[in-house]
Amino acid sequence: MRVISAVLLLAAVAALGQENPLQQGIAAFHRGDYGSALTSLEKAPDGAARRVFLALTRAAMGQCDAAQPELAEQFDKNTDSDLRRLAGLALAQCRLAAGRYDEALPVVTRLKALYPADADVLYQAARLHMKAWNDTLFEMFQKVPGSYRVNQVSAEIFEIQERYPEAAAEYRKAIAKNPAALNLHFRLGRVLLLESHAPESLALARREFEAELALNPGDAVAEYEVGQILLTSQQPAEAMKHFERAAALSPDFPEALEAIAKARMDAKQYAEAIALLERVVRLEPTSEPAHYSLMLAYRNAGRPADAAREQAALDKLRQAPEGEFTDFLKRLGEKAPKP
Amino acid sequence: MIRWLAIAALCSVGAPLVDFHNVAREAGLTDSFPNGGAQSKQYILETTGSGAAFLDYDNDGLLDIFLVSGPGGSNRLYHNLGNGKFADVTKQMGLEHTGWGQGVCAGDYDNDGYTDLFVTYWGGNVLYRNLAGHGFEDVTAKAHLQQDRVRYNTGCAFLDYNNDGHLDLFVANYLKFDFASTPKPGENAYCWYRGLPVACGPRGLPFDRNILYRNNGDGTFTDVSEASGIARPSRNYALGVLTGDFNGDGLTDIYVACDQTPSILYINRGDGTFADEAVMRGTAFDDSGKALSGMGATAADYDGDGWPDIFRSNFSDERETLYHNRGKGEFDDATLAAGMALNTRFVGWGCGFFDFDNDGWKDLLLVNGHVFPEVDRLGIDVRYRDRAVLYHNTGKGKFVDISESAGPGILERHAARGAAFGDYDNDGAMEVLVNNQNEPPSLLKQSGKPAGNWVLLKLVGVKSNRSAIGARVRVAAGGLVQSDEVRSGGSYLSQNDLRLHFGLGLARRIERIEIDWPSGVHQVEKDLSVNRVITIRER
Repeated sequence: MRVISAVLLLAAVAALGQENPLQQGIAAFHRGDYGSALTSLEKAPDGAARRVFLALTRAAMGQCDAAQPELAEQFDKNTDSDLRRLAGLALAQCRLAAGRYDEALPVVTRLKALYPADADVLYQAARLHMKAWNDTLFEMFQKVPGSYRVNQVSAEIFEIQERYPEAAAEYRKAIAKNPAALNLHFRLGRVLLLESHAPESLALARREFEAELALNPGDAVAEYEVGQILLTSQQPAEAMKHFERAAALSPDFPEALEAIAKARMDAKQYAEAIALLERVVRLEPTSEPAHYSLMLAYRNAGRPADAAREQAALDKLRQAPEGEFTDFLKRLGEKAPKP
Repeated sequence: MIRWLAIAALCSVGAPLVDFHNVAREAGLTDSFPNGGAQSKQYILETTGSGAAFLDYDNDGLLDIFLVSGPGGSNRLYHNLGNGKFADVTKQMGLEHTGWGQGVCAGDYDNDGYTDLFVTYWGGNVLYRNLAGHGFEDVTAKAHLQQDRVRYNTGCAFLDYNNDGHLDLFVANYLKFDFASTPKPGENAYCWYRGLPVACGPRGLPFDRNILYRNNGDGTFTDVSEASGIARPSRNYALGVLTGDFNGDGLTDIYVACDQTPSILYINRGDGTFADEAVMRGTAFDDSGKALSGMGATAADYDGDGWPDIFRSNFSDERETLYHNRGKGEFDDATLAAGMALNTRFVGWGCGFFDFDNDGWKDLLLVNGHVFPEVDRLGIDVRYRDRAVLYHNTGKGKFVDISESAGPGILERHAARGAAFGDYDNDGAMEVLVNNQNEPPSLLKQSGKPAGNWVLLKLVGVKSNRSAIGARVRVAAGGLVQSDEVRSGGSYLSQNDLRLHFGLGLARRIERIEIDWPSGVHQVEKDLSVNRVITIRER
């Protein structure tokens, strides 16, 4: 559609003749020769096409102040989808460059609504949020450098970068500064599990989850993590107490319910396991682990028809997203079909 | 006094005295086996090779060694000289061959009494017919096993799926690969590992499908992949192959460890067709329904309930997987319950159940090594070359990791791939042969002899295939009943000793051996002495 519009526009412009400054300006704009585009477009007679391309050219040359009123109008009113998109992107870019994030946000939000799968639009959106994040962080580091929040956010960044030893060190600093802050021990425990595959890390992580629970006895997720560590450490009975506490604290906590259900399965208490897993599936109908566990529970309980139904549900969820493996790729290397 | 010491050793649960050494150099296994880049790898093809085999090609009663190579070297056959040493006989036996060698499996496909070899390649596979122990002949074309295009063949196994007495052949295919169209490290989202650009795949590379060849009984094979249903699963990256009668119906099924995709369990329907029932039978995923990166697979009745269980090696940040057979081929994930959930830093490959201490309970060894040499740059606890893991079976459904105290052979770091298990000196203590990428192989041998008694069973089929592949055996001794099955292929792209080894603990006599031959014959042998190789011919 976009290509068709551009072709029609260029064709219309071409009809005006080779010497037409509008045509020359648009052609120069498309080649990225913004200086020539500006000269030609300024000479061209006034009209919608001239106005939009002049604004786009000015924006491309960094003359955002001059371009923005026109870009805003074109983004708001232009009925040509391509031109509207270009005007919106240029407007967002101008506002981002000027650090006017509050004004850029509604433009980007509208662009995303109008062009939800457009790579350029998504790129500008990502830039907007990243820039806002960076600037706020900079402000934080400047204004409150001694706050535990600085250490916490540093740790979270290290976590994203998979630099777990550094993340753990920052969480520890944050805890030292504010021992009563919630969620720091939990995050540290999680990082310790990611940092090392050594069995000893389980005990270290458990200590952190338990410290979190000491601060916040209502933290169901920390209870669950302690349960998982105990299960891995061959202490299923102890683990079960934590899973049950997690489920009591948060009755719709699917992972905790599933862990309890698996223990019931191991004990051959299939009816209880099935009841729990059916509830998990209701809570999370798109959860593959839930459907898989329920399928096995039905199977073990001697309910093959129900098990087959769950397998069908699981198969459906497991289908690869469209486009991941194209027919072309699947067929690559196969013999040409014989007549 | 000696007897009391033996009893004391056998009774010490959890900490058997074991001391594995790598004796490859002393044994004469000094050649290195190239397999792509050692410092970095550009393509996935460099990451998957290669297998190892123990086989007695000349019927002298001693296991010989075959190792598969990547390009830059040849596969090699080493003859067992009987004094703990091996001699390279590759050239004289007609086995020199270069290429992207992957897997190996053995079986007497023509029932002439000599074990033949099949070697898989990225490229074209090769069937070597054993010429009465004096040489091998490439009979690939003659046997109609030439492939019509380049394939990434990986695991293989001979099996008699229709119990007609002639060994058929299963070949797993990993994916479709060619150098020209495969992206380079870092070129797309599937070419990164923890921020490092690495060889791409398997995700993002096109799937292929597996192959079943039916033995026509006249030295030729027919591709029955489509008709048998073997070709049907088409979204799996297939590597290690494990055969066995998992549901106890007398028919050989096929388990395939698959990388990043659900593993396959082909159930033999007895009418020449198979159906993949891995999901419902509980062997496709881990206990959360997640497909892991399966590499190798092995089977044993580790808990003595009479049913074969399955172990699969996986990638780092994943648990190994132990599937417990709850009867009739329905499995539960028993990894956690069995105590195998702690080793998550290794990328596992070759694996095998074997009773290293002859206490009557099958222990387990797996060999490891990351796929990406580049991982060493990260400075984390995941390494390209890594040690093996040895689990001791406590006999109570649980395993204890004793790697750190199991000797230097276990702790040596290699980029290990295939591993084969066998007793090459017939002393009742099992050895392990490991193919290490771009290094000489490892030959792991215990420095001392385990205290328990033992038996090695060599089965010879008459109506059944001569290699007795698919024969199921139960051995009753000292109050224990153990079971096992003769298998071709297995582990990771490798071939174990076709003889079956049983540790017998303190038992001085074997009360009873029962064999269910693939032909349907049920044979019973009674009151046999221990600590020897027993050859049993099908009656």
